[in-house]
Amino acid sequence: MLAQSRLLAEQSTKKAAQGYSDGMPLTRKQLDGLIGSVAKGDEAAFAELYQVSSSKLFAVALRILRNREEAEEVLQESYFRVWEKAADFNPALASPLTWMAAIVRNRCIDEIRRKVPRGSPDESLLENLESDDEHPIVGLERQEDVQRLMRCMEGLEPEKKQMVRLAYLDGMSREDLAVKFGRPEGTIKTWLYRSLAQLKGCLEQ
Amino acid sequence: MTELDDIDGLAAEYVLGTLSRDERSAVEVRMASERALKSSIDAWQRRLTPLADTLAPIAPPANLYSKIRAQIGLSAHVISLKTRELQLTRRGNRWRNAAAGMTAMAASLAGLVVIREVQNQALPTQFVAVLQSGKDQPAFLLTVDTKTYNCVITAVSAPKLPDKSYQVWMVNDKLPKPKSLGVMSEGEMNVMPMAPGPDTDLFMNASFAVSLEPEGGSPSDGPTGPVLFSGKLIQATP
Repeated sequence: MLAQSRLLAEQSTKKAAQGYSDGMPLTRKQLDGLIGSVAKGDEAAFAELYQVSSSKLFAVALRILRNREEAEEVLQESYFRVWEKAADFNPALASPLTWMAAIVRNRCIDEIRRKVPRGSPDESLLENLESDDEHPIVGLERQEDVQRLMRCMEGLEPEKKQMVRLAYLDGMSREDLAVKFGRPEGTIKTWLYRSLAQLKGCLEQ
Repeated sequence: MTELDDIDGLAAEYVLGTLSRDERSAVEVRMASERALKSSIDAWQRRLTPLADTLAPIAPPANLYSKIRAQIGLSAHVISLKTRELQLTRRGNRWRNAAAGMTAMAASLAGLVVIREVQNQALPTQFVAVLQSGKDQPAFLLTVDTKTYNCVITAVSAPKLPDKSYQVWMVNDKLPKPKSLGVMSEGEMNVMPMAPGPDTDLFMNASFAVSLEPEGGSPSDGPTGPVLFSGKLIQATP
């Protein structure tokens, strides 16, 4: 199974390179191929993986950390980890972008939980980041997943939907949410559990 | 309606990012040995990560990639050479003292050389030198590719000091004096094409050093400030 996906990965690497130069988003197979090549120490594949993913991941880090310098540091550490751990990537468990986004988000959340209270945000960044608008989807690869999740998010009450977004995208803890929504932490936890259970049920339909 | 059991709820909150620092650490310890928790976390990553796709992409600064590349270059097998650290503060150790002889210099200055094992045999022969005196200190990376005859110098980390600039030098006892390879600031990358021939030999056998100069570079044709560190090239590919 793994050998087969590796083989597919190799075959798709060339196509991936063409895909990128055409400005087209990469397919899941092409991305798997890039990680497979990175695992073998292919620096060109790593450069391409960086090109296709860094703007997305930088947006994720900036939104949580609200500080350019810290976001750059996290991104640097995260890509270093991608290079070191590419061989551990399992395409059966996640797409490459999911895997990399988890690395970046975990670093960011650890970072903001480490320093309490949160440092003063970089005000110039907030303007671009505060917006709750959902931007058009650029990546072809996960468009369906995104649309399905958005449909399920629409099923949540507005306040609960906002809570899920503030937690996932802005890195708010239960404690932060309790302050923001003026409810005890226990209530927040109950709301989160219900919302997440509802999302899970909806996604499984 | 779907209910989350304890494990699934914990996994969901871990991925959502709402746990406290202690709770997160506890999950990370548990997931190393608890398969159910780990696979539940993986499933929540798949469910929720599409949310990240709703953010508008923002391009990171252009020099970030070269920093990452340099960090990768630095990571593999580090061989410490026969040198020791020259503290920035040791004003007495100026270039002119060190320049008394290459041997003396090699013995007194700091240098680290790094070899990155490259599995791909088709890669051209590469040589690298890492110039760094210690963690959190300025670091410069030199790579020389003898197939394309390109020398690339990257200022991996060069904290800005008031009224000062970093200047990179090539030193070879066949040269009458150190040759400047340029003034560099953090994240900057210099690519220097080299022609094959006697100059290349000079280059390959040279030592490279970084000195701290007045802003804009040395006012004379040689280094005037303290030498922070130096190193020699070492072959990085078979």
